[in-house]
Amino acid sequence: MRRGGQAVVLMMFTWLLVVVAAPACLVVAWVRTGRSEYAKGQRGRLRDFRYCAGLVATGIIVGGSAYPVLEAHGDRIDWAFLLLGIAVILVFRPRLAKPAVMCLLVALGLYGVALARHVGVGTYTPWRWYGLLPIGGYGIHSYGTYLILAQAYAYLLLGGWLAYREIIERPRLAALVLGRMAEPERRHDRWGLLLPYVVLGVTALVGSNAWFALAVVLVAAALVVIRRWPRAAAGAVVGGLLLLGLIGLFRAKYWSTSGNYGYLGPWSYPRFGAVDVSNQTMGLAAGAEALGFLALGCWLVPRIFPDARRLLGLASDNELARRVQRLTESRAVAVDTAAADLRRLERDLHDGAQARLVALGMSLRAAERLIEINPQAAVALVAEAREASARALTELRELVRGVHPPVLADRGLGDAVRALALDCPLDVDVDVDLPGRLPAPVETACYFAVAEVLTNAAKHSGSRAAKVALSHAAGRLSIVITDFGLGGADPAAGTGLAGVEKRLATFDGIMAVSSPVGGPTIVALEVPCALSLPKISSS
Amino acid sequence: MRVVVAEDLFLLRDGLVRLLEAHGFEIAAAVADAPGLLDALLEQKPDVAIVDVRLPPTFTDDGLRVAIEARKKVPGLPVLVLSQYVEQLYARELLADRAGGVGYLLKDRVFNDDQFTDAVRAVAGGGTVMDSEVVTKLLGRSARQEPLSRLSGREREVLELMAEGRSNSAIAQRLFVTEKAVSKHSTAIFTKLDLVPSDDDNRRVLAVLAYLNG
Repeated sequence: MRRGGQAVVLMMFTWLLVVVAAPACLVVAWVRTGRSEYAKGQRGRLRDFRYCAGLVATGIIVGGSAYPVLEAHGDRIDWAFLLLGIAVILVFRPRLAKPAVMCLLVALGLYGVALARHVGVGTYTPWRWYGLLPIGGYGIHSYGTYLILAQAYAYLLLGGWLAYREIIERPRLAALVLGRMAEPERRHDRWGLLLPYVVLGVTALVGSNAWFALAVVLVAAALVVIRRWPRAAAGAVVGGLLLLGLIGLFRAKYWSTSGNYGYLGPWSYPRFGAVDVSNQTMGLAAGAEALGFLALGCWLVPRIFPDARRLLGLASDNELARRVQRLTESRAVAVDTAAADLRRLERDLHDGAQARLVALGMSLRAAERLIEINPQAAVALVAEAREASARALTELRELVRGVHPPVLADRGLGDAVRALALDCPLDVDVDVDLPGRLPAPVETACYFAVAEVLTNAAKHSGSRAAKVALSHAAGRLSIVITDFGLGGADPAAGTGLAGVEKRLATFDGIMAVSSPVGGPTIVALEVPCALSLPKISSS
Repeated sequence: MRVVVAEDLFLLRDGLVRLLEAHGFEIAAAVADAPGLLDALLEQKPDVAIVDVRLPPTFTDDGLRVAIEARKKVPGLPVLVLSQYVEQLYARELLADRAGGVGYLLKDRVFNDDQFTDAVRAVAGGGTVMDSEVVTKLLGRSARQEPLSRLSGREREVLELMAEGRSNSAIAQRLFVTEKAVSKHSTAIFTKLDLVPSDDDNRRVLAVLAYLNG
């Protein structure tokens, strides 16, 4: 037990250090951030200074939290080392203030979590300081114990949030740390990063002697899951948080009402999350923590499982309404075009091949009559009939090409576009990266889209060359058609490109056109679709 | 001359067989699907095969693929491919081995039996016969390019017929000029296009097609 006089001297020394060293550090920081190499204007200086001031403040808090522990070991100069380290950072590398603040906050938070585990264990805890508040005394009923967890989580949250923001703003760092989660559309999956902590919490519930070994194995597994299956990790975090929350609430009720804490001998208190439930106070702390887990879990549900809101009837159906609207429009277009195509087909057959076959029949009938009387005229008529049949065939061929080009059926989109390129008056360079076949309707739509865009380019761009690139990745077919002409193409002006967009909309496909005056014109098409495995050659 | 015919539609197969027999060809085999065609080609070793592009089992380009495969196993095996439509892409694939003995014609060309049997004989003799539609497309695409645009109208006509695989005498007959005039034109064409002139009809066709295919 500490003698009163010594404690007072120590306290005064501490406050002296804070009162003298902290302003000195701030002055140094202000001077340093004003130096020419950091001259980014007053705002930049203030921003840098803010983190320096934050570092000093965090340093004081960390030092205050750590000091009594260090003092207990008779090692009084450690706090001085901490302040010295901060001073060195401020003098030589003010820019390191930002990461240093984050690291200190996270460390302080983790220390608080560990502290919460043990603070209630002993019957007596020496007065100490954690974060902004004094804790300790006869630990069981000390009001401070309630606040350790809240503070620890607040520091973890603040430090983690700052670090997260910093990582997100640096793409290379983000790719390194977050892996696939760095993609903006996987924003919500990043909650999966909490998985190791949730796993630790859940394994703590088991409370067996093998807890530690189990936790190590499961945390390692969690790290693998985060890296390989970020979505699954996020889902597991939600499930884990809800589970922890519910179990924690039930247990808190039991712990606080029964007075039975399940004491199993030293170091074997029931664990919950960050606390060892050794008494009623800690039982309540565990309850508060459980409430926090439950709240976070509930808050995450609609973010990780977007469909959950609709299932619960909570979501406004704007998204759904928009989708229905889009589907209605694209279905109308699809039906209209299908009907128009059929009408055109009927008309072409009626005026073309059918008429020629009628003429053919008439010629043959005439030849039949003439063959006895005037064989020469009959031969002429038969020759005419043969030519009529050839013309009918030519027309049918053109018709078939317009409905569904044979090469598309034979070889798929890649070769069909290659064939298209060969027939195109432009010099078209085709680059195909499609290891399989696409669904037939998508193939057809995309083929005619490419044909339309190339025809447009040949007619209007003034270019002599064009490039078509087809690829399939992440469930999307992407086609990029580039010409090196005059540019200035406007999908809103002509019917061609607008028609392409409308037809692709049937397949949830989208089109983007970039065509500055002076060129080049780039038309990008994207259609979500599956790629079937390449057909194995039958021969 | 022994011929293998591959065509899945009975009426057309029967018609082809009758037409060929009437012109003195011997039918070694008439098959209806791709595997049958490959067996017939490898077993019968015919003087020429007449193959439909679209055949069972997949009804896509099975015939074409079997023809190309058979020509890999038996280099120079003469194959005349028939189709309801012609694609430059397929023409390129057929010509890729540069071995000659290849033909690619629209089915309509069967209507003119004399020209058709001439084409069959030309292919059997190691010649190359391309449908005029393929040649028109080839020329249409490269017509604006520099060396071709220097050809005179008559020279272009001769080039077109040469690319279809016609001999000098056939070209002369078609254009109502003397054979000498045709050979003069062909020399001029080869000079303008910077090609090595050749008296061998077959090599001449291949050179022209290779040139047009770029």
